[in-house]
Amino acid sequence: MGDVKVSKVMTAADAIGKFVPDGCSISIANFLHSTPFALIHELIRQKKKDLLVWSQSGIEELDLLIGAGCTKKIITAYNFRAGGEWANGEFDRALNEGRLEVEDLSNFAVLAMLWAGAMGYNFIPVLKGIRETDIFKISTILGGEKFKVVKDPFSGEDTVVVKGANPDVALIHVQRCDREGNAQYWGSIGNSKWASLACKKIIVSTEQIVDHDVVRFSPHLTLIPGFRVDAVVEEPWGAHPAEALGAYNTDYGFRAMFFMHNITAVSMQSFLKEWVYDCAGRAEYLAHYVERFGQAPLSRLRARTHPSYPADLGSANFSVWDERGYSEALGMTRSEFDQVLEKQGEVMEWEIEEK
Amino acid sequence: MGNRRKIRFTLSELMIYNAALEIQDGDKVVMGQGIPIVACSLAKTFHAPNAVLMTEAGLVDVAPFRSPLHIADPTCTRGYSYSCDLMDIFTTILNRGFVDLCFLGVGQIDKFGNMNSTAIGDYRHPKMRMMGAGGAPDFALYAKRVVLTMRGGKFVNKLDYFTTPGWLAGGDSRKRAGLPETGPEVLISTKAVFHFPAPERELTLVSLHPGVNAEDVRKDVPWKLKIADNLNTTPVPPQEAIDFVRVFDPTLTAGRKLSLSLTIQAAAKKQAAKQKPAEAGKAEL
Repeated sequence: MGDVKVSKVMTAADAIGKFVPDGCSISIANFLHSTPFALIHELIRQKKKDLLVWSQSGIEELDLLIGAGCTKKIITAYNFRAGGEWANGEFDRALNEGRLEVEDLSNFAVLAMLWAGAMGYNFIPVLKGIRETDIFKISTILGGEKFKVVKDPFSGEDTVVVKGANPDVALIHVQRCDREGNAQYWGSIGNSKWASLACKKIIVSTEQIVDHDVVRFSPHLTLIPGFRVDAVVEEPWGAHPAEALGAYNTDYGFRAMFFMHNITAVSMQSFLKEWVYDCAGRAEYLAHYVERFGQAPLSRLRARTHPSYPADLGSANFSVWDERGYSEALGMTRSEFDQVLEKQGEVMEWEIEEK
Repeated sequence: MGNRRKIRFTLSELMIYNAALEIQDGDKVVMGQGIPIVACSLAKTFHAPNAVLMTEAGLVDVAPFRSPLHIADPTCTRGYSYSCDLMDIFTTILNRGFVDLCFLGVGQIDKFGNMNSTAIGDYRHPKMRMMGAGGAPDFALYAKRVVLTMRGGKFVNKLDYFTTPGWLAGGDSRKRAGLPETGPEVLISTKAVFHFPAPERELTLVSLHPGVNAEDVRKDVPWKLKIADNLNTTPVPPQEAIDFVRVFDPTLTAGRKLSLSLTIQAAAKKQAAKQKPAEAGKAEL
């Protein structure tokens, strides 16, 4: 018991190489918190092309993917920006140069599509007031398959629905995961469950790979069951410069540096070169960070421990038979029970060939 | 009568305090990043201890100890009562009518409080791409009250993109569209406070921040601005509110320009400290 059945552990390079073909659709399954940067950088390093990106809300990741030429199509509700027109970034440049199409949805509507997809429904109702907005009226990538208005068969009222979506691959970063892929995530759950479960394949990167027993002793923290997961990638600091609760805080200085680089196409490319292309993986990225800024800035981001109160998974007994091998319910011991079965039970007999 | 006393405060502190006054004890409030989170925390610390503060990331009944970078940052709390997710917030909480108040920021806004937070200029080739809808349209439609805060936004006759419904075409147009008859009630800008009074639901100037005159406000508004009969001065924050904000979010208190220069100075100081021991070492050699 507790043994690992299958190990799905692999490197980020193997996971992205194996499960993310050019032209597929990906779902970024973290909502601002614990962004899967190690996996996103790997998409860029492998020069993935024509990805359709489902992003609930982005901070740097969309600018990076656009700047690296990985995507021309993004379905999203929100993308952080750092200032006024002077701070136009890759997202603005790409729209203006016709390198990018964006489908704008609200936070609820974009996740409702994945929610329906995750539950296996073709469509699902959303809050109908959205039809007053340009989000409803203007469509780009989804064309005629963005919103529809149908009659509620019970009340006869107009109901706005969205179509269920099942993107090809989810990328998610979590705090801990076992080798089988039982992914435990806490803090800001946001879109994570639905944006993962909607997808056909799921790649999990994790701060730490833990024994299966850790998962069994805290199943309420498991967001994605192992049987749905295709790859498990151990990446300490895998969400940097975003934060991951219990691991590290956001790196404001680094993020400010990114946004400065995002202002021109040239400096954006130099950021990509320095922090993505020239680093073979997350370990090299971190080594480069320490070389540039020292260990101190990273150490300052480390979370101090503030553990959750454990849930008691105890039960009055862990077997029908007590420590003495006696069952209160049956009023007898195991060996007495065997005798009763022999005498009164419908015990069958059959001959088998021994090899 | 008592002595007159001078109170010294920043614009952010004034805006935060007035946003906080909109929160009543026991309100279930959806917070936005920036002024709203500070205002909510201020209200919860002083006059609304039973307010239930939440963000759409699924953090419910939080008491942040500082401002987060974004609304899904759980590192600004030492725990909270209910960890749910974005779908729960919009369905089991918002759609069931349990959001009493929500705060939204403003990009472009029109006469009836409809807003654009998506793009400036042509939608497909914008001059500037803004953050997008986020949760704004759904919250603005279904929260019982909506309070707007506006720092860099603009008043316009026609939105470049219609992201978030306010009172639509004013009057009873929400009712005619089959929507809840709730919407933006208050707008707190860098110069003044506005309401959207029934029945017209048109933006109306109700109070001027200290040192601002009506002309300063009128020149930002491209239509004939409605002004309340009894135009007031916006209430100024008491000392305890000022102290709270300076502890909770000194960066927001200082404003963008001063904060940036302080950050640069701090970085330079750090750099100098790093070089000093090296130089001292050289001198010894």
